[in-house]
Amino acid sequence: MGQRSKSKVTIFHCINVFADGDALLVDANESAALNFVKLPCSSMVKDVFLLRAFEAGADVVAVLVCAEGACRYVEGNLRAKKRVGWVKALLDEIGLDGRRLALFNVTAGDTLTAVKFIREAHSLAAALGPSPAAGGYRPETVKV
Amino acid sequence: MIVGEQKPISEIKQIVAPYKKILILGCGTCVKTCFAGGDDEVAVLASALRLSCMTEGREIEIEEQTIERQCEDEFIQESARAVARNQAILSLACGAGVQAMARRFASMPVLPGVNTTFMGVLEKPGLFTEECSGCGDCKLAVFGGVCPFTRCAKKLINGPCGGSRNGHCEVNSETDCAWHLIIERLKALGQMDNLRVYQPPKNWSASLSSGPRKLTREDHVL
Repeated sequence: MGQRSKSKVTIFHCINVFADGDALLVDANESAALNFVKLPCSSMVKDVFLLRAFEAGADVVAVLVCAEGACRYVEGNLRAKKRVGWVKALLDEIGLDGRRLALFNVTAGDTLTAVKFIREAHSLAAALGPSPAAGGYRPETVKV
Repeated sequence: MIVGEQKPISEIKQIVAPYKKILILGCGTCVKTCFAGGDDEVAVLASALRLSCMTEGREIEIEEQTIERQCEDEFIQESARAVARNQAILSLACGAGVQAMARRFASMPVLPGVNTTFMGVLEKPGLFTEECSGCGDCKLAVFGGVCPFTRCAKKLINGPCGGSRNGHCEVNSETDCAWHLIIERLKALGQMDNLRVYQPPKNWSASLSSGPRKLTREDHVL
């Protein structure tokens, strides 16, 4: 596998935080490749989705959820927080470094703060370097 | 249901280390309910193992499947093709399921990915409690549906020890006192007189203490 010039950041976000990540005003010179995954509520971010984002080559995965106490579905963001915590511990256990997974609370519609957190995720990817597991998804893996 | 928890990933990695192609086989009944071995847990474990191997630069091929129950041959057969494609099975079933798989596939290593813990109930989301020891001699009718053999730390059967505090056990203050529950329940049922009857020492010969047990239903045997 060749040297990658861009770090890869996958962002899972609740659509109540912002509707379309690609439309956010992220600096065109950002060095990271962004991959946005929309969720109807952050509680839909299952642990396997986070792990598969790393399998697909992400260096950092960020989960953007609504502010605590402001979830449209009451407690979706709290469930996401617990799940992210659990996966962070798992990443530490398998030697991938739990810091590569981060959760940010953003007030619904506050795109400036959302962009700020996305840049934080970029910085994190730059600081931590390429994921040691960024070999890409293994197509020979079979799901029966 | 049977309650279990997945082994630590470090232990699982050690168990599967000799193999390059493994089938992670989930069980869709008890261990699915307690988040130890259903299809979701199979997917997470497979992904975590792949990531771990990529991190270490080690090759591994993982196939995923979940069948309804690993303790019944009728369901086990559904895994036969996937089993044939792999070098080992990492079973996320309880100990009974692991052994049933091993019996069915004599030449295939069947490795446990779950620590089978107890027979219990889902008390509230995320909390499972032990309720039954499978002693083979059930006395729940006497004790208002609360088992002192399993739920009393001292296994007392003729009344409480006197050490409970605010309805909690003195051995573990986070556990409800079984005798507190028994008395509350018998009061509610109007059956407190049950406690006037002396309970003789329990006959443990019907339990696992006398070795593994068998149950035969002649009407189902051909």
